[in-house]
Amino acid sequence: MKLDPSFIGEALLKLLEALPTTLAITAVSVGCGFLAGTAIALVRVYRVPVLHRLAAAWVTVIRGTPMLVHLLVIYAGLTLIVDTLTGRLGLGWNSARIPMIGFAYLSFSVTASAYCSEIIRSGLLAVDKGQREAAQSLGMTAMQTLRRIIFPQALAASVPNLTNFVIGMLHGSTLAFVVSVVDINAKAEIVASTNWKFFEAYLAAAILFWAMTILLERAGGAIERRINRYHKGGVA
Amino acid sequence: MIRLTDIRKSFGKDDVLRGISLEVNKGEVVAIIGPSGSGKTTLLRCINFLERPDAGEIRISDLYVNCSKASKKEIHALRRKTAMVFQQYNLFRHKTALENVMEGLVVVRKMPKDAARERGVRLLEKVGLGDKLDAYPSRLSGGQQQRVGIARALAMEPEVILFDEPTSALDPELVGEVLAVIRQIAEEGITMIIVTHELGFAQDVASRVVFMAGGAIVEEGPPAELFARPQEERTKQFLRRLAPEYSI
Repeated sequence: MKLDPSFIGEALLKLLEALPTTLAITAVSVGCGFLAGTAIALVRVYRVPVLHRLAAAWVTVIRGTPMLVHLLVIYAGLTLIVDTLTGRLGLGWNSARIPMIGFAYLSFSVTASAYCSEIIRSGLLAVDKGQREAAQSLGMTAMQTLRRIIFPQALAASVPNLTNFVIGMLHGSTLAFVVSVVDINAKAEIVASTNWKFFEAYLAAAILFWAMTILLERAGGAIERRINRYHKGGVA
Repeated sequence: MIRLTDIRKSFGKDDVLRGISLEVNKGEVVAIIGPSGSGKTTLLRCINFLERPDAGEIRISDLYVNCSKASKKEIHALRRKTAMVFQQYNLFRHKTALENVMEGLVVVRKMPKDAARERGVRLLEKVGLGDKLDAYPSRLSGGQQQRVGIARALAMEPEVILFDEPTSALDPELVGEVLAVIRQIAEEGITMIIVTHELGFAQDVASRVVFMAGGAIVEEGPPAELFARPQEERTKQFLRRLAPEYSI
């Protein structure tokens, strides 16, 4: 068996067809995970009665179980629940109507929410308490203080971790193949087995992921530089 | 006019304030001195509810607040009548000097941005930082940051400015510039309560000095009198230790 370098390029072109799927799964899970994670982090940091315990439990359960397990549990569990409900209510449709990628969106968002909440929480805790006191002393409401003073600084402190998190979700999105979603990795699998050129196809997938990761690193670095002008000093 | 009546505060078993009553007239500059742990900073922070008093009453001009059952609205109203200058400056780190001064005006007072900017520029020029409008706090020295902090407090045109050891965190050579600014605004008749360790400054600027120890006011009076003829043993001890030049 010999390496066929030209096939790597060929495979790359084919993998590009699956790029939108990978990007969509990553974007949805990061987006939803960020919103939910922010809510969870705020509930925990501000110790909202009752809710903060639920939030803490959520984080330990979700972080304590693998991303693949989330996907499988939601895939199996959700179909069961939906079919039972629609059957009882006589709605005349069933879980087969749910697009497979929907399971990936939902379960990866669940995964992302727990990890992201910890990133945002550490960012919130990194903001000096004097910042809040200064805002309060000016007469700002709790909401104004959070929105204008605390959160921007927390977010700025979280950028390196958030970049890391997005990269992790990008790579984790490959698990979607389990529910028959054809992402880049699944596409590589298909290309590999139909052409009997496994190494080349997987190598092409690796190159594509690496390229996207480099772009994310660059983007993260640029945001960091912009946002942290004030940290390192500098004049607007 | 500000009137504090029987303000009490404890942290757990520790009674930090054991019933403080104090009256400050409009335009008066009151310096609060005393050993560390005497409750001076806590008292100051109780006035704007950064620390919630357990009991007592606070009156600032027409606003009256019963501390033990103060509502959010009342606390908010108190904070609108006061402004604070912090030991650690606490400038908003992600905002420039000018934005720091404008923030409260725009967000709390709903002042149009142009007007807020105008006032911000005027006040920063007044504290000698007209050339630092767009500098972030990390680019400013401690003394400059504290002067921005003072401009930020002045901008709100409060009934009283609360100074919490405004020079304690500064390098010795930067203390002078901050004290000079405070002295300047004191002369303009702005009501101030200053917690300070700078006895010389207190003597210079304050119309009245309050000596606190153990969570209570031990004695108070015009600075010349209090420093030269302290009545209480506790005050004498404190002055002897801190400022031998005053000792009798």
